[in-house]
Amino acid sequence: MSQLEVLLVIGVLIPLASFVLLAFVGARLGKPAAGWVAVLAIAASTVLATMALLQWHGMTPDQRLAAHSAPLVWAHLGAVPITFGVNLDSLTLIMFFMVTFVSTCIFVFSVGYMAGHSDEIDGVSKFHRFFAYLSLFCFSMLLLVIADSLLLLFIAWELVGLCSYLLIGYYFHKKSASNAAIKAFVTNRVGDFGFIIGLGMVFAYLGDLSLAGAAQAFRDGYAQQSALFTQHLLGVSLATWMGMLLFCGAIGKSAQFPLHVWLPDAMEGPTPVSALIHAATMVAAGVYLTARIFVLLTPEAQLFVAVIGCITLSIAALVAIVQTDIKRVLAYSTISQLGYMILGMGVGAWIAALFHLLTHAFFKALMFLGSGQVIEGCHHEQDMRKMGGLCRKMPVTCWTFLVGVLAIAGAGIPAAHFGLGGYFSKDEILAVAWHRVYGAAHGGHVGTWERGNVGTEPDTRVVLASYAQHDPGEQVVHPGHLNPEPRTLNPLLFWIPVLIAYVTPFYMMRCWWLTFMGRPRDEHVYAHAHESKLMYLPLVVLAAGTLFASYYLFRPMVAAAAPQPFLTWAYDGEAAEAAHAQGALIDHGAHRALVPIVGFAFVAGFLAAWLLYRRGLTLAERLAQTLRPLHTLLVHKFYFDELYGLVLVGGTMLVKAICYAFDKYVIDGLVNLSARVTERVSRFSGVVLDQGAVDGAVNAVGRGTWELGGLVRRPQVGRVRNYILFATGGVAVLVLWLVLA
Amino acid sequence: MLAIGLTHYLVLAAFLFCCGLYVMATKRNAVGILIGAELVLNAAGINLVAFSRYETGLADGQIAALFIIVLAAAEAAIAIAIFVNYYRLLGTIDPDAGDRLRG
Amino acid sequence: MYEAIAFYLLAAVVAGSAFGCVIATNIVRMALCLLGTLGGVALLYFLMAANFLGVVQLIVYAGGTLIVIVFGVMLTSRAAGVRLRPKRSEALAGTLICIGLLAGLVTLLVRTAWPAAQSEAQAYDVAWLGNELLSTYLVPFEMVSVLLLAVMIGAAFLAQPSGKDKEPEER
Repeated sequence: MSQLEVLLVIGVLIPLASFVLLAFVGARLGKPAAGWVAVLAIAASTVLATMALLQWHGMTPDQRLAAHSAPLVWAHLGAVPITFGVNLDSLTLIMFFMVTFVSTCIFVFSVGYMAGHSDEIDGVSKFHRFFAYLSLFCFSMLLLVIADSLLLLFIAWELVGLCSYLLIGYYFHKKSASNAAIKAFVTNRVGDFGFIIGLGMVFAYLGDLSLAGAAQAFRDGYAQQSALFTQHLLGVSLATWMGMLLFCGAIGKSAQFPLHVWLPDAMEGPTPVSALIHAATMVAAGVYLTARIFVLLTPEAQLFVAVIGCITLSIAALVAIVQTDIKRVLAYSTISQLGYMILGMGVGAWIAALFHLLTHAFFKALMFLGSGQVIEGCHHEQDMRKMGGLCRKMPVTCWTFLVGVLAIAGAGIPAAHFGLGGYFSKDEILAVAWHRVYGAAHGGHVGTWERGNVGTEPDTRVVLASYAQHDPGEQVVHPGHLNPEPRTLNPLLFWIPVLIAYVTPFYMMRCWWLTFMGRPRDEHVYAHAHESKLMYLPLVVLAAGTLFASYYLFRPMVAAAAPQPFLTWAYDGEAAEAAHAQGALIDHGAHRALVPIVGFAFVAGFLAAWLLYRRGLTLAERLAQTLRPLHTLLVHKFYFDELYGLVLVGGTMLVKAICYAFDKYVIDGLVNLSARVTERVSRFSGVVLDQGAVDGAVNAVGRGTWELGGLVRRPQVGRVRNYILFATGGVAVLVLWLVLA
Repeated sequence: MLAIGLTHYLVLAAFLFCCGLYVMATKRNAVGILIGAELVLNAAGINLVAFSRYETGLADGQIAALFIIVLAAAEAAIAIAIFVNYYRLLGTIDPDAGDRLRG
Repeated sequence: MYEAIAFYLLAAVVAGSAFGCVIATNIVRMALCLLGTLGGVALLYFLMAANFLGVVQLIVYAGGTLIVIVFGVMLTSRAAGVRLRPKRSEALAGTLICIGLLAGLVTLLVRTAWPAAQSEAQAYDVAWLGNELLSTYLVPFEMVSVLLLAVMIGAAFLAQPSGKDKEPEER
């Protein structure tokens, strides 16, 4: 293994070691030492991740290529080797860094957060268990990030799901928490089921479970028009099915439309868990998976992805408007932002989606930790209607939270290239969507673009990715998704996200304003509010990361990781040079068109929220009265839980009733009939045959044995000495017989 | 009569053997049975050594006798342990008392 | 000549003390008689040039096993004073059977024509015995070691007081 890979592998193993340590001696370490062990471990991983990142940064492309080493062959399934290795590219490194860095902040926060919680069950503290789970989670997540084969990725995927279950149900003595944990687990299983089937199809049709190998096999299959592309099921090609099924895993884990119901309930877990798992890292795993399997998605599958993302982002954002629980607002905003990422994946904005993932991880972790601070400070009051005016009591939390709000709202100054991470990333997704809907058709023909075209076709500026590894002009055949046409997307997939881009700042501003601004609405809560130093330190670090690091650090790294050869569109800006280096696509027109459409969305959203909520809740309540049906619909989250309850639970109950009736009347009848017949037969055989014939015979044998035994019994006196005497007598007779014979 | 041969030793051993058997058969003390067994084993030992001395000229008999001594020691240890338990259980050392398994 | 004298002397000791065992009614006296037998047998071994065996007989048998037996007698001493005599019929039967057996055996032994005896006893040294034990007789040797281990554990297990340590029940 190369040095870089060793760094990463050690970085993965340290949290595992921490988990093992805490699992076995955590109880003895007690509070808060167990927490600091976990913090130390993840901090060490962060240091390793930073070293790896710096080393990677200083390498030439050739060196980077050379840093790969052959994966370990674990087993052979038929002719298919199952390999485990490190997937070494910019995306892995930047994700690795993001996960470890955000985790470190959250771990530090957790030590402060959990310190104030009584977490004893039956007199035994489970404080250490919390950090053991967190460490295990980090291990799984990092494993997922570096996995180079779909199988290893799947293993890590399930581990992550398990940790999520354990952590959501951390307060398992609370019924709602254990229910939420089960709901999350079961809902994820539904998605994972599709993922497994997809894996099976990859295995069966592509014959290679490693990411690179599967992509190559997919391309070859397309070139040769293999069964995967020619066979159809329900009018959809198998390749599309495969992509959609693999994406099902992401639907579950990233809480996308049909399976999004678990994420808001997952807020039952401790707030740091919500920050770590349900905002920053685990839910991003779905987007990460989509990015990794992107090369296996046909245009139809991409459309499916985009539609799912679009539905998710809109319903989640609408529901978020009426939520009153601060954590639930954030949960729905998370779902909505994940929807943006998935939409980005679907429309082909690979780089933009991952860029958004990274920026989102920072600002969402920031906001969740802020909410944790608020909840902790207000003695577990989560209802925003009872807060207000907390800015004076917790200024650091207030202003760092505002940074997060600005970032998620996409605040920035258009055309000046100044803004927070969310501004660039969301804009880029929308720009790509715009291009797919309205962009000018690009000139060129399949598979023969060269890097030189980037400069020579300034009017279209939509160019394919670098074919650096190919000879210029070489005819390369690629699946359709590598050259999606502009003007092929339904305009709704552009306009709905744009509309929601106005809603997002509104509900985020509403959340911030209700919590921190205005007059205190509950004197009791207000009087107790306070903030603790150990907890706001991570907030400041994350806010700094949100403010400065995201665009200039993340964007080029993600762009560098784009699969080659690969098509993508990129935002035109400072990163253009970096993008050029990777041969990414650039479209000035898309960006320019966007400025009037969404450039000032955040201002509008903020203004609306301010107007509505600056005098407390009265205005909003009157509005809710006026729009009663709509409000009710949103409060009930579009009745998804009720629908699932009706369809799934009710369906099960119906099936149960049918089964019950069948059991009672058909099966029971048969059973009773057979029982009666058996009874008659047995009576006959019992009285006549058994008692008469068989018993008589048996008794006769018994009596005979008894009498014989009585006969034999007599010499058995039961005394050792007599037995010896008998034996001696026997020998004497034998000897005498020998003598006399 | 003066030349001592194999027969002399064998006759002595036979006498020892019969004494041992009688002791085992008649003594109403479990330890007495053990003593009888020791007599029998000694008779066997004499036989083995005598055969090796007069018959084969090899030391096989001696080694077998060696094993007999070892086994006798082991047997005595186990037997005494059993008797102690027996005594603890029944309050007597009379072997005739231990006839519980009698049908 | 000397050998004959020595043999008859030792034979008298061995046979006499064995007969002492037979007629003794006190268990302690029986143990004492056994000591005589064992010592006599050891000396007989010396006479048959089995020097090492004689030493082992003295040390292990007379020194070890007998001590164990005496311990056994002492541990069950409450009954030691009680002289339980066999039933007359049993004693009679035992006497008859044993005499018959002895008579038969002696007849057989005397009647058998044994091969010509070696005149000179060949003494084997301990080194030869040791080599034999660890080469030709290695397997029995090892088995005996295992047996001893089993006996050690077994004896310790058997002799430990039972959990309830209940009173001996009288019969």
